[in-house]
Amino acid sequence: MIKFDHVCFSYGERTVLNDASFFIDSGERVAILGGSGEGKTTILKLILGLLRPDSGRILIDGEDLTDKAESELRDVRMKFSIVFQEGALFDSLNVRENVAFCLREYSKLSEEEIDRRVRELLRLVGVEHAIELMPDELSGGMHRRVAIARSLAVCDPAMFLYDEPTSGLDPVNADTICRLIIDLSKNEKGFIIVTHKVYDAMRVAGRFMFLKGGSVVFDGNRELLLQASIPDINIFMSELRGVCDN
Amino acid sequence: MMTTKEIINDLQDYYLLALRGLAGMFTRPFYFRDAIDQMDYAGAGSFPIIVLVALFIGMALSLQLSAEFGRLGLRMYTGKAVGITVIREIGPVMAALVFTGRVGAGMASELGSMVLGHQVDSFRVFGVDPIKKLVTPRLISAIIMLPVLTVIGDALSILGAYYIVVFVSNQSGYVYWKSIRDVLIFENIVAGSVKPFIFGFLIASISCYSGLTTMGGAAGLRQATTNAVVLSIISIIISDFALTRILLYMLGFSV
Repeated sequence: MIKFDHVCFSYGERTVLNDASFFIDSGERVAILGGSGEGKTTILKLILGLLRPDSGRILIDGEDLTDKAESELRDVRMKFSIVFQEGALFDSLNVRENVAFCLREYSKLSEEEIDRRVRELLRLVGVEHAIELMPDELSGGMHRRVAIARSLAVCDPAMFLYDEPTSGLDPVNADTICRLIIDLSKNEKGFIIVTHKVYDAMRVAGRFMFLKGGSVVFDGNRELLLQASIPDINIFMSELRGVCDN
Repeated sequence: MMTTKEIINDLQDYYLLALRGLAGMFTRPFYFRDAIDQMDYAGAGSFPIIVLVALFIGMALSLQLSAEFGRLGLRMYTGKAVGITVIREIGPVMAALVFTGRVGAGMASELGSMVLGHQVDSFRVFGVDPIKKLVTPRLISAIIMLPVLTVIGDALSILGAYYIVVFVSNQSGYVYWKSIRDVLIFENIVAGSVKPFIFGFLIASISCYSGLTTMGGAAGLRQATTNAVVLSIISIIISDFALTRILLYMLGFSV
Protein backbone atom coordinates (compact mmCIF):
# COMPACT_ATOMS: atom_id res chain seq x y z
CA MET A 1 0.00 0.00 0.00
CA ILE A 2 2.74 2.49 0.98
CA LYS A 3 6.02 2.47 -0.85
CA PHE A 4 8.94 4.80 -0.14
CA ASP A 5 11.41 4.64 -2.99
CA HIS A 6 14.80 6.25 -2.19
CA VAL A 7 13.15 9.20 -0.46
CA CYS A 8 15.26 12.13 0.71
CA PHE A 9 13.85 15.03 2.69
CA SER A 10 15.40 17.96 4.52
CA TYR A 11 14.22 20.98 6.49
CA GLY A 12 16.51 23.67 5.06
CA GLU A 13 20.07 22.53 5.73
CA ARG A 14 19.06 19.70 8.07
CA THR A 15 18.65 16.34 6.36
CA VAL A 16 15.89 14.31 7.96
CA LEU A 17 15.46 11.40 5.55
CA ASN A 18 18.34 10.14 3.47
CA ASP A 19 17.54 7.55 0.80
CA ALA A 20 14.78 5.89 2.81
CA SER A 21 13.12 2.93 1.11
CA PHE A 22 10.48 0.56 2.48
CA PHE A 23 7.08 -0.97 1.74
CA ILE A 24 4.15 -1.26 4.13
CA ASP A 25 1.10 -3.36 3.27
CA SER A 26 -2.40 -2.23 4.20
CA GLY A 27 -3.05 -4.80 6.94
CA GLU A 28 0.31 -4.41 8.71
CA ARG A 29 0.75 -3.11 12.24
CA VAL A 30 3.96 -1.13 12.03
CA ALA A 31 5.81 0.82 14.70
CA ILE A 32 8.36 3.38 13.60
CA LEU A 33 10.86 3.95 16.37
CA GLY A 34 13.67 6.44 16.69
CA GLY A 35 14.92 9.39 18.64
CA SER A 36 13.60 12.95 18.46
CA GLY A 37 14.25 14.67 15.15
CA GLU A 38 14.98 11.40 13.32
CA GLY A 39 12.11 11.93 10.88
CA LYS A 40 9.36 9.74 12.33
CA THR A 41 6.62 12.39 12.10
CA THR A 42 8.04 13.51 8.75
CA ILE A 43 7.33 10.04 7.34
CA LEU A 44 3.64 10.34 8.31
CA LYS A 45 3.44 13.80 6.76
CA LEU A 46 5.06 12.53 3.57
CA ILE A 47 2.57 9.65 3.38
CA LEU A 48 -0.30 12.17 3.51
CA GLY A 49 1.34 14.56 1.04
CA LEU A 50 1.59 17.29 3.66
CA LEU A 51 5.29 17.49 2.83
CA ARG A 52 6.98 16.80 -0.48
CA PRO A 53 10.21 14.82 -0.74
CA ASP A 54 13.35 16.49 -2.10
CA SER A 55 13.94 13.39 -4.20
CA GLY A 56 12.64 9.85 -4.54
CA ARG A 57 9.06 8.65 -4.91
CA ILE A 58 6.20 7.90 -2.55
CA LEU A 59 3.54 5.56 -3.89
CA ILE A 60 0.18 4.90 -2.26
CA ASP A 61 -1.62 1.97 -3.86
CA GLY A 62 0.63 2.50 -6.87
CA GLU A 63 -0.20 6.20 -7.19
CA ASP A 64 2.80 8.51 -7.11
CA LEU A 65 2.16 11.39 -4.70
CA THR A 66 5.26 13.31 -5.66
CA ASP A 67 3.78 15.33 -8.50
CA LYS A 68 0.19 15.57 -7.31
CA ALA A 69 -1.35 18.99 -6.72
CA GLU A 70 -2.92 19.74 -3.31
CA SER A 71 -6.43 19.38 -4.77
CA GLU A 72 -5.58 15.90 -6.14
CA LEU A 73 -4.38 14.59 -2.78
CA ARG A 74 -7.77 14.45 -1.10
CA ASP A 75 -8.61 10.97 -2.35
CA VAL A 76 -5.25 9.66 -1.15
CA ARG A 77 -5.67 11.30 2.27
CA MET A 78 -9.11 9.76 2.66
CA LYS A 79 -7.46 6.32 2.70
CA PHE A 80 -5.87 7.21 6.02
CA SER A 81 -6.99 8.34 9.39
CA ILE A 82 -4.36 10.27 11.31
CA VAL A 83 -4.12 11.22 14.94
CA PHE A 84 -1.52 13.94 15.28
CA GLN A 85 0.78 14.41 18.22
CA GLU A 86 -1.22 15.79 21.17
CA GLY A 87 -4.44 15.38 19.21
CA ALA A 88 -4.42 18.65 17.23
CA LEU A 89 -8.04 19.37 18.11
CA PHE A 90 -9.37 22.70 16.88
CA ASP A 91 -9.13 24.75 20.05
CA SER A 92 -11.92 27.17 19.15
CA LEU A 93 -14.45 24.31 18.87
CA ASN A 94 -15.81 22.09 21.63
CA VAL A 95 -15.58 18.30 21.53
CA ARG A 96 -18.94 17.92 19.73
CA GLU A 97 -17.96 20.47 17.07
CA ASN A 98 -14.51 18.96 16.63
CA VAL A 99 -15.90 15.50 15.92
CA ALA A 100 -18.75 16.91 13.82
CA PHE A 101 -16.39 19.09 11.77
CA CYS A 102 -15.88 16.69 8.87
CA LEU A 103 -19.42 15.39 8.99
CA ARG A 104 -20.65 18.95 8.45
CA GLU A 105 -18.02 19.58 5.82
CA TYR A 106 -18.60 16.49 3.67
CA SER A 107 -21.82 14.73 4.50
CA LYS A 108 -25.39 15.76 3.88
CA LEU A 109 -26.50 14.41 7.25
CA SER A 110 -29.11 16.31 9.24
CA GLU A 111 -28.15 17.89 12.58
CA GLU A 112 -29.86 15.03 14.46
CA GLU A 113 -27.94 12.43 12.47
CA ILE A 114 -24.68 14.29 13.01
CA ASP A 115 -25.35 14.46 16.75
CA ARG A 116 -26.14 10.75 16.86
CA ARG A 117 -22.97 9.87 14.93
CA VAL A 118 -20.82 12.15 17.14
CA ARG A 119 -22.19 10.52 20.31
CA GLU A 120 -21.64 7.08 18.81
CA LEU A 121 -17.98 7.86 18.04
CA LEU A 122 -17.38 9.45 21.45
CA ARG A 123 -18.97 6.42 23.13
CA LEU A 124 -16.62 4.16 21.14
CA VAL A 125 -13.57 5.94 22.59
CA GLY A 126 -15.14 6.35 26.02
CA VAL A 127 -15.48 10.13 26.29
CA GLU A 128 -19.17 10.74 25.56
CA HIS A 129 -19.48 12.61 28.88
CA ALA A 130 -17.02 15.26 27.59
CA ILE A 131 -19.14 16.21 24.58
CA GLU A 132 -19.65 19.84 25.62
CA LEU A 133 -16.10 20.48 26.89
CA MET A 134 -13.54 22.65 25.13
CA PRO A 135 -10.16 21.07 24.20
CA ASP A 136 -8.33 22.99 26.92
CA GLU A 137 -10.62 21.41 29.52
CA LEU A 138 -9.64 17.87 28.52
CA SER A 139 -6.90 15.75 30.07
CA GLY A 140 -4.11 14.45 27.81
CA GLY A 141 -5.72 11.03 27.47
CA MET A 142 -9.16 12.45 26.69
CA HIS A 143 -7.58 14.76 24.15
CA ARG A 144 -6.11 11.80 22.24
CA ARG A 145 -9.34 9.82 22.46
CA VAL A 146 -11.38 12.71 21.06
CA ALA A 147 -8.78 13.07 18.30
CA ILE A 148 -9.22 9.38 17.47
CA ALA A 149 -13.01 9.83 17.40
CA ARG A 150 -12.63 12.82 15.09
CA SER A 151 -10.35 10.91 12.75
CA LEU A 152 -12.92 8.12 12.54
CA ALA A 153 -15.63 10.57 11.54
CA VAL A 154 -13.86 11.39 8.29
CA CYS A 155 -14.38 8.15 6.44
CA ASP A 156 -13.77 4.45 6.65
CA PRO A 157 -9.97 4.49 6.45
CA ALA A 158 -7.85 1.68 5.06
CA MET A 159 -5.09 2.46 7.53
CA PHE A 160 -4.56 4.42 10.73
CA LEU A 161 -1.59 6.70 11.38
CA TYR A 162 -0.71 7.58 14.98
CA ASP A 163 1.88 10.20 15.81
CA GLU A 164 3.19 9.68 19.36
CA PRO A 165 -0.27 8.69 20.64
CA THR A 166 0.90 7.89 24.16
CA SER A 167 3.61 10.47 24.73
CA GLY A 168 3.09 12.53 27.86
CA LEU A 169 0.37 10.19 29.17
CA ASP A 170 0.33 8.34 32.47
CA PRO A 171 0.45 4.50 32.23
CA VAL A 172 -3.33 4.12 32.72
CA ASN A 173 -4.19 6.51 29.90
CA ALA A 174 -1.42 5.11 27.71
CA ASP A 175 -2.90 1.64 28.28
CA THR A 176 -6.36 2.89 27.28
CA ILE A 177 -5.00 4.38 24.07
CA CYS A 178 -3.07 1.19 23.25
CA ARG A 179 -6.22 -0.90 23.75
CA LEU A 180 -8.13 1.48 21.50
CA ILE A 181 -5.45 1.21 18.81
CA ILE A 182 -5.65 -2.59 18.95
CA ASP A 183 -9.47 -2.57 18.86
CA LEU A 184 -9.59 -0.24 15.88
CA SER A 185 -7.14 -2.36 13.93
CA LYS A 186 -9.44 -5.37 13.97
CA ASN A 187 -11.06 -6.25 10.63
CA GLU A 188 -7.64 -6.39 8.99
CA LYS A 189 -7.06 -2.66 9.31
CA GLY A 190 -3.40 -1.83 9.61
CA PHE A 191 -1.72 1.10 11.26
CA ILE A 192 1.56 2.91 11.57
CA ILE A 193 2.41 4.11 15.02
CA VAL A 194 5.26 6.57 15.41
CA THR A 195 6.67 6.56 18.91
CA HIS A 196 9.77 6.50 21.03
CA LYS A 197 8.03 4.39 23.71
CA VAL A 198 9.17 0.85 22.99
CA TYR A 199 6.87 -0.68 25.58
CA ASP A 200 3.76 0.72 23.88
CA ALA A 201 5.10 -0.17 20.43
CA MET A 202 5.72 -3.78 21.51
CA ARG A 203 2.16 -4.05 22.82
CA VAL A 204 0.46 -3.01 19.62
CA ALA A 205 2.74 -3.62 16.63
CA GLY A 206 4.02 -6.67 14.79
CA ARG A 207 6.63 -5.02 12.61
CA PHE A 208 9.23 -2.52 13.78
CA MET A 209 11.31 -0.01 11.87
CA PHE A 210 14.07 1.96 13.51
CA LEU A 211 15.22 5.29 12.11
CA LYS A 212 18.70 6.63 12.62
CA GLY A 213 20.50 9.38 10.70
CA GLY A 214 17.73 9.65 8.14
CA SER A 215 17.77 5.97 7.20
CA VAL A 216 15.87 2.85 8.22
CA VAL A 217 18.60 0.94 10.11
CA PHE A 218 16.30 -1.87 11.29
CA ASP A 219 13.18 -3.41 9.80
CA GLY A 220 11.87 -6.61 11.29
CA ASN A 221 9.54 -8.40 13.66
CA ARG A 222 9.50 -8.55 17.47
CA GLU A 223 12.00 -11.42 17.75
CA LEU A 224 14.51 -9.74 15.47
CA LEU A 225 14.12 -6.48 17.37
CA LEU A 226 14.85 -8.17 20.67
CA GLN A 227 17.99 -9.76 19.20
CA ALA A 228 19.17 -6.65 17.33
CA SER A 229 22.76 -5.66 18.06
CA ILE A 230 22.51 -2.04 16.94
CA PRO A 231 23.66 0.20 19.87
CA ASP A 232 20.85 2.77 19.47
CA ILE A 233 18.20 0.07 19.45
CA ASN A 234 19.75 -1.48 22.55
CA ILE A 235 19.43 1.87 24.35
CA PHE A 236 15.73 1.97 23.39
CA MET A 237 15.26 -1.66 24.39
CA SER A 238 16.80 -1.06 27.80
CA GLU A 239 13.50 0.61 28.76
CA LEU A 240 11.71 -2.65 27.99
CA ARG A 241 14.32 -4.83 29.68
CA GLY A 242 14.02 -2.68 32.78
CA VAL A 243 10.27 -3.38 32.80
CA CYS A 244 10.77 -7.12 32.22
CA ASP A 245 13.56 -7.45 34.80
CA ASN A 246 11.40 -5.91 37.43
CA MET B 1 20.36 37.25 7.62
CA MET B 2 18.11 36.34 4.69
CA THR B 3 19.56 35.92 1.20
CA THR B 4 18.08 37.71 -1.79
CA LYS B 5 16.71 34.40 -3.05
CA GLU B 6 14.93 33.79 0.25
CA ILE B 7 13.42 37.28 0.24
CA ILE B 8 12.15 36.79 -3.33
CA ASN B 9 10.73 33.37 -2.40
CA ASP B 10 9.02 34.84 0.65
CA LEU B 11 7.55 37.69 -1.39
CA GLN B 12 6.29 35.25 -4.00
CA ASP B 13 4.67 33.07 -1.33
CA TYR B 14 3.13 36.15 0.32
CA TYR B 15 1.60 37.38 -2.96
CA LEU B 16 0.22 33.93 -3.69
CA LEU B 17 -1.33 33.67 -0.24
CA ALA B 18 -2.81 37.18 -0.47
CA LEU B 19 -4.25 36.52 -3.93
CA ARG B 20 -5.68 33.12 -2.96
CA GLY B 21 -7.13 34.69 0.18
CA LEU B 22 -8.85 37.35 -1.93
CA ALA B 23 -10.02 34.83 -4.53
CA GLY B 24 -11.54 32.82 -1.68
CA MET B 25 -14.10 35.60 -1.19
CA PHE B 26 -15.66 34.77 -4.54
CA THR B 27 -15.53 30.97 -4.67
CA ARG B 28 -17.31 28.26 -2.69
CA PRO B 29 -17.32 27.11 0.04
CA PHE B 30 -17.96 30.31 2.02
CA TYR B 31 -17.11 30.30 5.70
CA PHE B 32 -19.58 32.98 6.84
CA ARG B 33 -19.51 31.95 10.48
CA ASP B 34 -15.73 32.24 10.62
CA ALA B 35 -15.91 35.68 8.98
CA ILE B 36 -18.52 36.84 11.52
CA ASP B 37 -16.39 35.52 14.40
CA GLN B 38 -13.37 37.35 13.06
CA MET B 39 -15.35 40.55 12.57
CA ASP B 40 -16.53 40.34 16.15
CA TYR B 41 -12.96 39.85 17.37
CA ALA B 42 -11.48 42.58 15.16
CA GLY B 43 -14.31 45.10 15.31
CA ALA B 44 -16.16 44.86 18.60
CA GLY B 45 -12.97 43.80 20.40
CA SER B 46 -10.97 46.77 19.12
CA PHE B 47 -13.74 49.33 19.70
CA PRO B 48 -12.83 50.34 23.30
CA ILE B 49 -9.14 50.79 22.40
CA ILE B 50 -9.96 52.87 19.34
CA VAL B 51 -12.31 55.04 21.42
CA LEU B 52 -9.66 55.72 24.01
CA VAL B 53 -6.77 56.30 21.61
CA ALA B 54 -8.77 58.44 19.17
CA LEU B 55 -10.21 60.65 21.91
CA PHE B 56 -6.81 61.43 23.41
CA ILE B 57 -5.09 61.87 20.04
CA GLY B 58 -7.78 64.38 19.06
CA MET B 59 -7.30 66.27 22.32
CA ALA B 60 -3.48 66.28 22.07
CA LEU B 61 -3.62 67.39 18.44
CA SER B 62 -6.02 70.19 19.30
CA LEU B 63 -3.80 71.38 22.17
CA GLN B 64 -0.74 71.51 19.91
CA LEU B 65 -2.55 73.33 17.11
CA SER B 66 -4.29 75.79 19.45
CA ALA B 67 -0.97 76.67 21.07
CA GLU B 68 0.81 77.20 17.75
CA PHE B 69 -2.07 78.98 15.97
CA GLY B 70 -2.55 81.17 19.07
CA ARG B 71 0.98 82.52 18.69
CA LEU B 72 0.21 83.40 15.06
CA GLY B 73 -3.23 84.83 15.83
CA LEU B 74 -4.91 82.11 13.76
CA ARG B 75 -6.64 80.20 16.55
CA MET B 76 -9.94 80.08 14.64
CA TYR B 77 -8.31 77.72 12.14
CA THR B 78 -7.80 75.03 14.77
CA GLY B 79 -11.00 73.23 13.80
CA LYS B 80 -10.14 73.20 10.12
CA ALA B 81 -6.59 71.94 10.74
CA VAL B 82 -7.84 69.26 13.13
CA GLY B 83 -10.52 68.14 10.66
CA ILE B 84 -8.18 67.84 7.69
CA THR B 85 -5.39 66.18 9.68
CA VAL B 86 -7.69 63.66 11.34
CA ILE B 87 -9.83 62.76 8.34
CA ARG B 88 -7.12 62.58 5.73
CA GLU B 89 -4.10 61.36 7.65
CA ILE B 90 -4.04 60.69 11.38
CA GLY B 91 -7.39 58.89 11.65
CA PRO B 92 -6.66 56.12 9.13
CA VAL B 93 -3.03 55.67 10.23
CA MET B 94 -3.87 55.71 13.95
CA ALA B 95 -6.66 53.15 13.53
CA ALA B 96 -4.41 50.96 11.36
CA LEU B 97 -1.60 51.01 13.93
CA VAL B 98 -3.96 50.13 16.78
CA PHE B 99 -5.49 47.40 14.59
CA THR B 100 -2.02 46.02 13.86
CA GLY B 101 -1.09 45.88 17.53
CA ARG B 102 -4.26 44.16 18.60
CA VAL B 103 -5.70 42.26 15.65
CA GLY B 104 -2.64 41.67 13.46
CA ALA B 105 -0.57 40.33 16.36
CA GLY B 106 -3.54 38.20 17.42
CA MET B 107 -3.96 36.73 13.92
CA ALA B 108 -0.28 35.85 13.62
CA SER B 109 -0.04 34.24 17.05
CA GLU B 110 -3.32 32.33 16.64
CA LEU B 111 -2.40 30.95 13.22
CA GLY B 112 1.15 30.29 14.39
CA SER B 113 -0.01 28.19 17.30
CA MET B 114 -2.43 26.36 14.97
CA VAL B 115 0.51 25.52 12.70
CA LEU B 116 2.66 24.32 15.60
CA GLY B 117 -0.24 22.31 17.05
CA HIS B 118 -0.83 20.58 13.66
CA GLN B 119 -4.33 22.09 13.42
CA VAL B 120 -3.54 23.51 9.98
CA ASP B 121 -2.28 20.07 8.88
CA SER B 122 -5.55 18.62 10.20
CA PHE B 123 -7.52 20.97 7.92
CA ARG B 124 -5.46 19.81 4.96
CA VAL B 125 -5.92 16.15 5.86
CA PHE B 126 -9.68 16.69 6.09
CA GLY B 127 -9.60 18.26 2.63
CA VAL B 128 -10.28 21.80 3.85
CA ASP B 129 -8.25 24.56 2.20
CA PRO B 130 -6.55 26.38 5.13
CA ILE B 131 -6.37 29.61 3.11
CA LYS B 132 -10.12 29.67 2.50
CA LYS B 133 -10.91 28.59 6.03
CA LEU B 134 -8.39 30.76 7.89
CA VAL B 135 -7.09 33.56 5.67
CA THR B 136 -10.18 34.64 3.72
CA PRO B 137 -12.38 35.27 6.80
CA ARG B 138 -9.57 37.33 8.37
CA LEU B 139 -9.13 39.37 5.17
CA ILE B 140 -12.88 40.01 5.00
CA SER B 141 -12.94 41.01 8.64
CA ALA B 142 -10.01 43.44 8.34
CA ILE B 143 -11.23 44.97 5.06
CA ILE B 144 -14.68 45.65 6.56
CA MET B 145 -13.89 46.44 10.19
CA LEU B 146 -10.87 48.73 9.81
CA PRO B 147 -12.78 51.34 7.76
CA VAL B 148 -15.63 51.18 10.30
CA LEU B 149 -13.20 51.67 13.18
CA THR B 150 -11.50 54.49 11.28
CA VAL B 151 -14.78 56.39 10.88
CA ILE B 152 -15.56 55.92 14.59
CA GLY B 153 -12.00 56.98 15.49
CA ASP B 154 -12.23 60.07 13.26
CA ALA B 155 -15.50 61.12 14.91
CA LEU B 156 -14.09 60.66 18.41
CA SER B 157 -10.84 62.51 17.63
CA ILE B 158 -12.92 65.43 16.36
CA LEU B 159 -15.05 65.25 19.51
CA GLY B 160 -11.93 65.22 21.72
CA ALA B 161 -10.55 68.22 19.83
CA TYR B 162 -13.90 70.00 20.32
CA TYR B 163 -13.56 69.62 24.10
CA ILE B 164 -10.10 71.26 24.06
CA VAL B 165 -11.09 74.01 21.61
CA VAL B 166 -14.21 75.00 23.54
CA PHE B 167 -13.45 74.27 27.20
CA VAL B 168 -9.66 74.74 27.37
CA SER B 169 -8.84 77.14 24.56
CA ASN B 170 -12.14 79.05 25.06
CA GLN B 171 -12.98 79.29 21.36
CA SER B 172 -16.41 79.29 19.79
CA GLY B 173 -18.01 75.87 19.41
CA TYR B 174 -20.07 77.16 16.48
CA VAL B 175 -16.93 78.22 14.57
CA TYR B 176 -15.32 74.85 15.34
CA TRP B 177 -18.26 72.82 13.98
CA LYS B 178 -18.56 75.09 10.98
CA SER B 179 -14.86 74.48 10.21
CA ILE B 180 -15.39 70.74 10.56
CA ARG B 181 -18.43 70.87 8.24
CA ASP B 182 -16.34 72.80 5.72
CA VAL B 183 -13.66 70.12 5.59
CA LEU B 184 -16.20 67.31 5.18
CA ILE B 185 -16.05 67.61 1.41
CA PHE B 186 -15.97 64.74 -1.09
CA GLU B 187 -12.22 64.99 -1.75
CA ASN B 188 -11.24 64.85 1.92
CA ILE B 189 -13.63 62.01 2.68
CA VAL B 190 -12.37 59.96 -0.27
CA ALA B 191 -8.74 60.73 0.66
CA GLY B 192 -9.35 59.39 4.15
CA SER B 193 -11.70 56.51 3.42
CA VAL B 194 -9.75 54.69 0.71
CA LYS B 195 -6.73 54.13 2.96
CA PRO B 196 -8.33 51.89 5.63
CA PHE B 197 -9.42 49.33 3.02
CA ILE B 198 -5.84 49.02 1.76
CA PHE B 199 -4.39 49.04 5.28
CA GLY B 200 -6.86 46.36 6.40
CA PHE B 201 -5.87 44.12 3.51
CA LEU B 202 -2.15 44.64 4.20
CA ILE B 203 -2.43 43.98 7.96
CA ALA B 204 -4.51 40.82 7.57
CA SER B 205 -2.50 39.35 4.68
CA ILE B 206 0.90 40.06 6.29
CA SER B 207 -0.24 38.75 9.68
CA CYS B 208 -1.76 35.59 8.19
CA TYR B 209 1.37 34.96 6.16
CA SER B 210 3.59 35.40 9.22
CA GLY B 211 1.36 33.10 11.25
CA LEU B 212 1.12 30.37 8.64
CA THR B 213 4.89 30.29 8.09
CA THR B 214 5.68 29.86 11.79
CA MET B 215 8.40 27.33 12.52
CA GLY B 216 10.32 26.27 15.58
CA GLY B 217 8.19 26.29 18.73
CA ALA B 218 7.71 29.20 21.13
CA ALA B 219 10.67 31.17 19.76
CA GLY B 220 9.27 30.79 16.24
CA LEU B 221 5.87 31.98 17.42
CA ARG B 222 7.44 35.06 19.02
CA GLN B 223 9.32 35.74 15.78
CA ALA B 224 6.17 35.33 13.67
CA THR B 225 4.20 37.75 15.85
CA THR B 226 7.02 40.28 15.84
CA ASN B 227 7.37 39.99 12.06
CA ALA B 228 3.62 40.48 11.60
CA VAL B 229 3.58 43.69 13.66
CA VAL B 230 6.82 45.17 12.32
CA LEU B 231 6.12 44.39 8.66
CA SER B 232 2.53 45.62 8.96
CA ILE B 233 3.64 48.93 10.51
CA ILE B 234 6.32 49.46 7.87
CA SER B 235 3.90 48.65 5.06
CA ILE B 236 1.25 50.96 6.53
CA ILE B 237 3.67 53.90 6.76
CA ILE B 238 5.11 53.39 3.28
CA SER B 239 1.77 52.73 1.61
CA ASP B 240 0.29 55.73 3.43
CA PHE B 241 2.85 57.96 1.76
CA ALA B 242 2.25 56.38 -1.64
CA LEU B 243 -1.54 56.52 -1.28
CA THR B 244 -1.43 60.14 -0.10
CA ARG B 245 0.63 61.10 -3.15
CA ILE B 246 -1.69 59.22 -5.52
CA LEU B 247 -4.94 60.42 -3.94
CA LEU B 248 -3.87 64.06 -3.79
CA TYR B 249 -2.96 63.88 -7.46
CA MET B 250 -6.18 62.11 -8.45
CA LEU B 251 -8.40 64.42 -6.40
CA GLY B 252 -6.85 67.53 -7.88
CA PHE B 253 -4.97 68.89 -4.87
CA SER B 254 -1.84 70.82 -5.79
CA VAL B 255 1.23 70.18 -3.66
